[in-house]
Amino acid sequence: MAARRLLLALPVLLGVSVAVFAAAAASPFDPLAGYLGDRYLTAGQEVQDRIAGELGTDRAWWVQYGWWLGELLTGDLGTSRSYAQPVAQVVAERLPWTLLLVGVALALAVVLALLLGTWSAHRRGGWVDRLVTPVCLLVQAVPPFVVALGAVSVFGLALGWLPVAGLTDAGAELSAGQVARHLVLPAAVLAVSQLPWLLLNVRESLLRALAEDHVVAARARGLSERTVVLRHALPTALLPFVTLVGARLPELVVGAVLVEEVFSWPGLAQAVVTSAVEVDFPLLAFLTLLTTAAVLLGSLLADVAYVLLDPRVSADG
Amino acid sequence: MSTALAVSGLTVRFELPRRGSRVHAATDVSFDLRRGRVLALVGESGCGKSVLASALLRLLPGNATVTGRALLGELDLLAAPGRVLRGEVRGRRVALVPQSAATALTPVRTARAQLEETVRELVPGADPRGRADELAHRVGLQPGDLDRYPHQLSGGMAQRVVVALALAGDPEVVLADEPTAGLDRPLVDRTLGLLREVADGGRAVLLITHDLGALLRTPAAADDLAVMYAGRLLETGPAREVLAAPAHDYTRDLLGALPSGGLVPVPGAPPSLTDLPDGCAYHRRRPDAGPCDGGDVVHRSGDRATRCRPAGAGPC
Amino acid sequence: MAERRGRLVAGVVLLALLVGYAVVVPWAAGVDDRVTDFAAARQGPSPAHPFGTDSAGRDLFVRTAAGLRVSLLVAVVCAVLSTVLGALVGALSAAAGGWADRLVMRLVDGVNAVPHLLLGIVLVALYRGSLVAIIASIALTHWTQVARIVRAEVLSLRDREHVDAAVLAGAGRWWVTRRHLLPAVLPQALVAATLLLPHAVWHESTLSFLGLGLPPHRASLGTLLEEARSSLLLGGWWTLVFPALGLVLATLAVAAVGSALRDRAALPRRAVVEL
Repeated sequence: MAARRLLLALPVLLGVSVAVFAAAAASPFDPLAGYLGDRYLTAGQEVQDRIAGELGTDRAWWVQYGWWLGELLTGDLGTSRSYAQPVAQVVAERLPWTLLLVGVALALAVVLALLLGTWSAHRRGGWVDRLVTPVCLLVQAVPPFVVALGAVSVFGLALGWLPVAGLTDAGAELSAGQVARHLVLPAAVLAVSQLPWLLLNVRESLLRALAEDHVVAARARGLSERTVVLRHALPTALLPFVTLVGARLPELVVGAVLVEEVFSWPGLAQAVVTSAVEVDFPLLAFLTLLTTAAVLLGSLLADVAYVLLDPRVSADG
Repeated sequence: MSTALAVSGLTVRFELPRRGSRVHAATDVSFDLRRGRVLALVGESGCGKSVLASALLRLLPGNATVTGRALLGELDLLAAPGRVLRGEVRGRRVALVPQSAATALTPVRTARAQLEETVRELVPGADPRGRADELAHRVGLQPGDLDRYPHQLSGGMAQRVVVALALAGDPEVVLADEPTAGLDRPLVDRTLGLLREVADGGRAVLLITHDLGALLRTPAAADDLAVMYAGRLLETGPAREVLAAPAHDYTRDLLGALPSGGLVPVPGAPPSLTDLPDGCAYHRRRPDAGPCDGGDVVHRSGDRATRCRPAGAGPC
Repeated sequence: MAERRGRLVAGVVLLALLVGYAVVVPWAAGVDDRVTDFAAARQGPSPAHPFGTDSAGRDLFVRTAAGLRVSLLVAVVCAVLSTVLGALVGALSAAAGGWADRLVMRLVDGVNAVPHLLLGIVLVALYRGSLVAIIASIALTHWTQVARIVRAEVLSLRDREHVDAAVLAGAGRWWVTRRHLLPAVLPQALVAATLLLPHAVWHESTLSFLGLGLPPHRASLGTLLEEARSSLLLGGWWTLVFPALGLVLATLAVAAVGSALRDRAALPRRAVVEL
């Protein structure tokens, strides 16, 4: 399974990057216009042709793709026009903030899903359980950016409890306290947008596990409810959950894009939007590739985790 | 030969969601489990045998209603609060050897982890590792076998592990629910031998099985025999006597269906337990077997009891 | 059963109300999107403007309806296109079999591995403001699920007896396809298309919200919510609440209908298995 994913990763990455270049070549977008900016209109045809020749934009797209790929392999990622920085620098500055946001949000969502899901499955029909399913279905129907805007208007504007934008207050020094305060809302929104799926899934698979032979047997043995649920039902119920978290990574990326945009969080996801709006092609192409690689890596890790957690799989090799 | 668990008038009904139907899983079942003895409860598949074990430990789903009494000393298992069942009875005084050992073990943890956990919870103060090894030895496992995951255990080893788990809390009563189902003949005999040893250690054992042939093969396996049909006990008595001279037509037919009895299949098929009418269900299946008195009266003579008058003992 | 019917009825009624609102209101109001009235900008809900007005003084009751109309329309087109695409790929892949089938399935895996919105962003960034690009970006990323369902259906059908019998009796490939495969695959594809709708609504509104979809004056749920971002800071809660409500209700209604249809389509299949 893991090996199959690894085999799939390379063609997917190649395919995605080829598709991006082909789409760019077919699109009305002229890379020269992007490069020259305002000067594009004032520069004469002759100048345009000369620069196009220097940049190689007059060549076929697969030739340009070949150059790009070659430079990528030698570590040269090109220069981002919208940030006026090398792409590598943009990524290096922004990646940690995205990882912080996504990591905190995912951890929060997983912990909440486990707690609430276990509780509502164990106390099936209790008030928590009766509340959980409809609330999850409702939250599922609300796009993350609406959740984000709602959180901004309630907690940021109406109540004034938490800052709604950026990494720090305007003009403030970058400090752990500042970042932590500014992280609360975006991380919470991102977690809430991922929660319903995870929660309903934990509940569902735990309900199934509670009816299985080995759980009934554990209960018949006189073990405490706590042990029965936590040590017998949950471990088997969690196996599919691990894969689910891996499979949900694309959704997490989408959520991160929206949350970073709404909260002006200076992460990579925001850079995706900026580079798209400005048609900053070198940055956009690399970020697309990077995100795809991250998602592939995520599902690979989920598979590895599954193999490590389930002795039956590792035994089969 | 004191009584460890006295069951009387045990009746189990399941309410079905549709059309107000009820499943008559067990009706007016009475028997005593005595220390040092094995009571074998036999019957065809689907006659309600397995429900009994779950009913006694109160592990049935919410749509079941259980009436009757099951006295464990002073304690009525069927009336005791759930807290008492969880904290004092299950595993500690009454243990279950579940059906299909392979699926009764949690697949992602080693046998040792589960056995030591059970020891830790049921016997506070014991050394879990030492006691687990000792239990393994008692059921004929090597201590090293415990370090395997359930899928790495053979069927016989898994069977031994679940017996060890049942013995972990040193219970007075062991309920073995089809412990031999799906095992090959040598394993069946070994499992029966294991339960015999458990009983010889002073415990009362209920051996639920559909394998009458195995009991015939190893006469030492069971001291007493109860024959169940459509949720009722049709015949009870000392195993040797019942097997030698069955009193009820059903027992006779079951023995006749075995290779030693001439392989004459029991005619017809077991009835559905849903909305079962009162009266003797077996003589509805075999009206030709002779007259019967309706099946609601129990006839006793000495250690033996039958539910309808023996065929040929006069018209109803 | 009753629960499923209730879900279906509630979904259909809600959807009908929403569609009615989206079609009738903009038509009756007959306002041009580009007409602005800054004197009436950012007014809260009132009898004259039940949903308030936006930063350009346009009535949000009308604009929300128009936005809902555009979003639903885009979503329907996307859902139909990706279903057709997925059904074609799935059916051809199953019919071809062998290495072609394996290749297509790897392609499905590949497309699934890429975050859909990301592909959408790239496409729409390159073809800015084009409705075709928006629709293509959604259709091109959402066909995989349908392809999988249809392929599985075709494969399972091919193994069934009555199809074998038809082939043995000398029926042509096309005849078998039309007579046996289409009737079996069509309901599945229909359900898949319905379940795709909420995704498509979301996708479109997300792109527009990010400033990559429709131009700001064209009302769609996404552009309305984009605008709500800045109006919110000035206290215009209504600019968020009403378009968001439209989006959430539309999602819920379509999801209810889709899941009810899916359960119904699944039932007879289960009955067959039990036999």
